[in-house]
Amino acid sequence: MPTRTLYAATRAPSETSQLDIAGALLTLLRDTTTEPRPDTQLEALTLAVAADLPVLLWGEPGIGKTAALTQLAAALDLPLTTVIASVHEPSDFSGLPVVGDDPAEQGIPMAPPDWAVRLVRAGRGLLFLDELSTAPPAVQAALLRLVLERRIGALRLPPGVRIVAAANPRSSAADGWELSPPLANRFVHLQWTHDHEVVVRGLGGTWPRATLPRLDPERLPEAVDYARRAVCGLLTGRPKLVHQLPGSETRRGGAWPSPRSWEMAMALTAFATAAGSSREVLSLLVRGTVGDGPGLELLAWVDRMDLPDPETFLADPTAGELPERGDLRQAVLDGVVAAVRNRPERARWDAAWALLVRALETGAPDLVVVPATTLAALRRDDWDVPASIEQLAGAISLSRRADRAATAAKARR
Amino acid sequence: MNTDTVTALDSDKLFAARLYAARARPYLATALFALHTVESRQVPTMAVDRHWRCYVSPGFVDRTTVEDLAGVWVHEVSHLLRDHHGRSDRVARERGLTGPGERLRMNIAADMEINDDAYGDGLITPEGAVQPKTLGLPAGNLMEDYLRWFRLGPRTQGLAWLDCGSGADGLDRGWELGPDGAHGLSEQQRDAVRFRVAQGITGHPGSTPSGWRRWAEEAFHPPQPWRELLGAAVRSAVSAPGAGEDYTYGRPSRRSAGLPGVVLPSLRRRPPRVCVVIDTSGSVSDAELGSALLEVAAISRAVGGRRDLVTVVPCDAAARVAQPLCRAEGIELLGGGGTDLRTGFAKALRTQPRPDAVVVLTDGQTPWPSSRPSCRTVVGLFPRRYESRSYDEDDPDYVPDTPPDWARVVEIGSAPVSR
Repeated sequence: MPTRTLYAATRAPSETSQLDIAGALLTLLRDTTTEPRPDTQLEALTLAVAADLPVLLWGEPGIGKTAALTQLAAALDLPLTTVIASVHEPSDFSGLPVVGDDPAEQGIPMAPPDWAVRLVRAGRGLLFLDELSTAPPAVQAALLRLVLERRIGALRLPPGVRIVAAANPRSSAADGWELSPPLANRFVHLQWTHDHEVVVRGLGGTWPRATLPRLDPERLPEAVDYARRAVCGLLTGRPKLVHQLPGSETRRGGAWPSPRSWEMAMALTAFATAAGSSREVLSLLVRGTVGDGPGLELLAWVDRMDLPDPETFLADPTAGELPERGDLRQAVLDGVVAAVRNRPERARWDAAWALLVRALETGAPDLVVVPATTLAALRRDDWDVPASIEQLAGAISLSRRADRAATAAKARR
Repeated sequence: MNTDTVTALDSDKLFAARLYAARARPYLATALFALHTVESRQVPTMAVDRHWRCYVSPGFVDRTTVEDLAGVWVHEVSHLLRDHHGRSDRVARERGLTGPGERLRMNIAADMEINDDAYGDGLITPEGAVQPKTLGLPAGNLMEDYLRWFRLGPRTQGLAWLDCGSGADGLDRGWELGPDGAHGLSEQQRDAVRFRVAQGITGHPGSTPSGWRRWAEEAFHPPQPWRELLGAAVRSAVSAPGAGEDYTYGRPSRRSAGLPGVVLPSLRRRPPRVCVVIDTSGSVSDAELGSALLEVAAISRAVGGRRDLVTVVPCDAAARVAQPLCRAEGIELLGGGGTDLRTGFAKALRTQPRPDAVVVLTDGQTPWPSSRPSCRTVVGLFPRRYESRSYDEDDPDYVPDTPPDWARVVEIGSAPVSR
């Protein structure tokens, strides 16, 4: 070996210059810029990590999970520690036994690995457990204790440490990594996918720079109230959704609803609200916590919650804003008619007619037909038909036209 | 279409048609009303984009009757509900299909998927709607299947004008408003509408056509290919603690040298033993059985099993299928006889050395063991949807038991080719 070093030293000028050129080429290749771009998955991940819930990223190898974690660590201002699970032994997570002078007297302490000691000493940090799926089952078992109980050997991770794990999807996992339903229920499952456009643009020299959500301190009480109303409102009407073990093989290993995961969904809703995040972000989080079906029901419920209250319209038909989208507008009109049915009073009935006229003037006429027919059926004998009903003639002729078409269709068959 | 420039959009006619469509198909009402209409003189008829905007040609509305327009409404909204744009993009990626010609084919295939059960029952088939039988194809299939079965040629010549927009085939058109335009639905909003429609269908199945019911069941839980599911089930059965690669105290760890006096476990390999019980009664076809058995053999090899560790217990006299297959694969075939799966289980569990996992391939028309066997069980179930399942003369009410809770059940061959 020494001779070779000597040789290299004598030939130094040309050798280093070659390496210098290679270095210059590498520098050019790494010379990229960033552009701001909304990134829903990263935003969802940030919120889940901020809410201190264990996150499991599901994604094919090589699609930038580690890059995302680096960005997240920078945004949360936490030092990042990456542990590749598959190259460790279970004792690295449950602690290595160290024999002292008198084991019978003092016991055998389980010594934690160096990275854990450093994390505890720092008091804060982002721990990324990569390649969970390629680790042997015993290692996975030890890791889950770390994720869920935050214990490594005799150490307990301080609350300032946040944990994210990553796994390959079942179909591409080389061996049998699969979550049992109780474990799956403790995680927020986020599917990590790459965006074709982002990758191509990034390789071209411009990577996205996500602006990450910031929690607004003034909105905290409002956010908690909103999240509680959303989850409790849904579960009051749908008791079946509270607990549903995954039945079929297809849904195994994924998110499913239970009181525990609903609590997580509530926390995530509050975080998303406090951060002013979009519905896309909330959708990813909620569906990753309680599963697709219940998650979508919660989102549909939240949509309904955001619709204007029928009573405000009945108090003053010109007051609130009618939604632009047809299906939501019809939901509002139906809600108003239902409110009149529940408490039929002359003034409310008139207000509902006025609102229908307003809806006809500002949007598609076919939406008004069903609410108008139902409202007309609610009339009491001593209630006069309001003058404004004249303006609904258009909707009635539309309805007649549809009836005529039905007759024509029957005739043609 | 120069005549279009003189006609104004008859929106009353258009909305009367929508109202009629919503009356004829109440379960689609939410989706129909969620569409935002845009008047456009560049579409030949009506078209949708992936953001749930519906482009309407005034001239087309003018020369079409209300009842025909209603059919077109349902047709266009079906493209969006069935996620034809997303599926087209996926198929294009998977099969490497590029160019406008292929997108036209996707549009035609998507139309056939919709048209074979969208009309009738109050809705008139719009003029020129392409049906599978127009191209001599069987009805009731998915767009992905149709796409394999025809190419552009003389028979599709008359369809070249077909244009349902990017909502149908995923190819963005110049006249569309694009993602930044007004009144588009975001992905989450689209999902919410599709979910509400699916929920309406599963809530009141009644007279809903079977095609829509199938869609509603699968809208948010697309079936996974059975191979992956079976693979995952077998893998997790054979690599669970106690089998395959794991830690054992049987031998000292290589780290023990550094920690004198401490016993550390070491990583050892014990190749998993898989026993396949095959229900070879007449109702299972040779092709089904063959593909499933090959799959199990391939999986157990992938997890490190040697071929001599896969044993097959045929559960009936008809071992004819299994035998040549096993000979070709070098699998040891044990015993035979017994039409009752319980005997098959008993035999599998008695094999020495004991198997780590039992895989049962059956159509489920059999009694099951009453207690949980001593090792992990995966059931590959061939779905049977007969009108009169397994009729028994002595007991006409007899219904075969479903596989028990302790087994992991994978339905084989039930998933569409590509979703």
